[in-house]
Amino acid sequence: MTHRRPHVSGLAVYTVLLFLFLFAPIAFVVLFSFNKTAGLTFPFHGFSLRWYRAVFSSPTYRESIVASLRVALITVVVVVVVGTLAGIGLTRHAFRGSGAARGLLLFPAALPGLFVGIALLSFFVQTKVTLSLWTVTAGHLVYVLPYFVLVVTSRLQRFDYLLEEAARDLGAGPWTTFRRVTLPLIAPSLIAGALVVFSLSWDEVFITFFTIGAQNTLPLVIYSTVKQSVDPSVNAISTLLLAGSLVFIFSVRRLVVDLQQ
Amino acid sequence: MTAAAVAGQIGSINVRVRRRRRLVVAGLVAPALLVVCGALLVPALNLIVQSFLESSGYGGVVYHFTLSNYLDAIRDPTYRKVAWHSFGLGALAALICVVAGYPAAYFITFRLHHRWRNLALFLVVISLFTSYLVRLYAWYTILGGNGIVNTALIHLGVVKHPLLFLLFSRWAVLIAFVNVFLPFSVLMLTSAMQNIRPELLENARDLGASPLRTFSRIVLPLTMTGAVGAFTYTFILTSGDYITPSLLGGTSSTSLANIVSDEFVALGNRQAGAAISCVMLLIFFTVYLSLSRLERWKGI
Repeated sequence: MTHRRPHVSGLAVYTVLLFLFLFAPIAFVVLFSFNKTAGLTFPFHGFSLRWYRAVFSSPTYRESIVASLRVALITVVVVVVVGTLAGIGLTRHAFRGSGAARGLLLFPAALPGLFVGIALLSFFVQTKVTLSLWTVTAGHLVYVLPYFVLVVTSRLQRFDYLLEEAARDLGAGPWTTFRRVTLPLIAPSLIAGALVVFSLSWDEVFITFFTIGAQNTLPLVIYSTVKQSVDPSVNAISTLLLAGSLVFIFSVRRLVVDLQQ
Repeated sequence: MTAAAVAGQIGSINVRVRRRRRLVVAGLVAPALLVVCGALLVPALNLIVQSFLESSGYGGVVYHFTLSNYLDAIRDPTYRKVAWHSFGLGALAALICVVAGYPAAYFITFRLHHRWRNLALFLVVISLFTSYLVRLYAWYTILGGNGIVNTALIHLGVVKHPLLFLLFSRWAVLIAFVNVFLPFSVLMLTSAMQNIRPELLENARDLGASPLRTFSRIVLPLTMTGAVGAFTYTFILTSGDYITPSLLGGTSSTSLANIVSDEFVALGNRQAGAAISCVMLLIFFTVYLSLSRLERWKGI
């Protein structure tokens, strides 16, 4: 290595500080979720799980977790099916209007959430659709579809179609070829994409805010709780959310590492 | 059979195969397009149409073409003030994210061993995927009257009473914006810098260029696409945000999104709300187009 100059260590210190700025707030939330008392300040009075018990015994939290799971799972299933088909259609054969179709599938990602939320709310009010978890799901579908299509098409662009042709030459039908050759090969990307979709939907507040009916999702319960007062149980539920994100991100990393090998 | 007839037959088979293939492709892409049209395109077009119609009081609409929603939105001094405020705060947050992201991205790309680089990038991705709402809540507890900052200041004897202006201010909103969007801009800048060959930087140094000159003549022009992307993304998402100003901004920081939501929900004037959101979208589009011209900039 070449000799180190002082400004190099300056950059290192800066980068460490930047990471501290990113992670310290989250660390505080996790720490105070185990606090014995209701205070959010030091000194720390000792560990307890009382805020976790408060979360699990609260029907509001339980119902909202179920609602969030329902919205996210329906979103994942629809987006994976519809997005995989579209990904195959877009990458396999160039057709007239394929560029336009691709653009149409990706452009919702460039729209601010406000516009999507307001457009949906206005539309539902006008067509007299009652706001419910279904209207929330509709919003989540368009919000996450571009991300999934991106993941799938970038995998399919590197796909070796000779493998499919070999299967066809050996007498496999189109469906068998898809099930036995194509699907196993693209499965890690599909699962990674599904996890991204799940986490985006699970955490979505903005579009949900405008399309929500009587039943709240978990982020909206947190939002309205924080809006009203400081409630330490929010620390516990936030920590649970973070744990969920960590599980998600480590599984995606596994999948990506597997893909590269 | 003549050669021409065979050629003709092959041709017609080709046409049939191609037609079938086109049908299959249409069948594959159609469901996704249907989702986008049903849940976005039609509602978006409806919103644009609504913005040119008259409101008839609470929630109602008169099918009569008018420009008054737009004129009212542009003329209203309160709206104009809030718009400047929202766009200004968004632009400031985006600028800070890009400027603060550069040194970190540079360090991660050029100064770290590749194993450490992967770890650093993994940490950035983790913070990108941790809940947006949880991070806002974290700042809420840090900056609050009984929060960590105030308690520490009182403990150290810097102040006697908690500083109540920390939370519910534009600064709280700005800090939260930077905290939420910084990982994204570090990631964009790092991936842009990975296209710069390290030899290029060494050559510049060997030829006697100062670090500042190397940065402005080599690093900056070659990473302009990433910087513009990060700025635009942050600017659009922050200046159109509703959640952060409403949680951390208090009454001092009304956002444009807040105004749109009030027109819709509280005042029931969907047409006015539609017009404001269309103007916002137009401004975002203009900013995006003019900034993307910057990508061709070749350095100072």
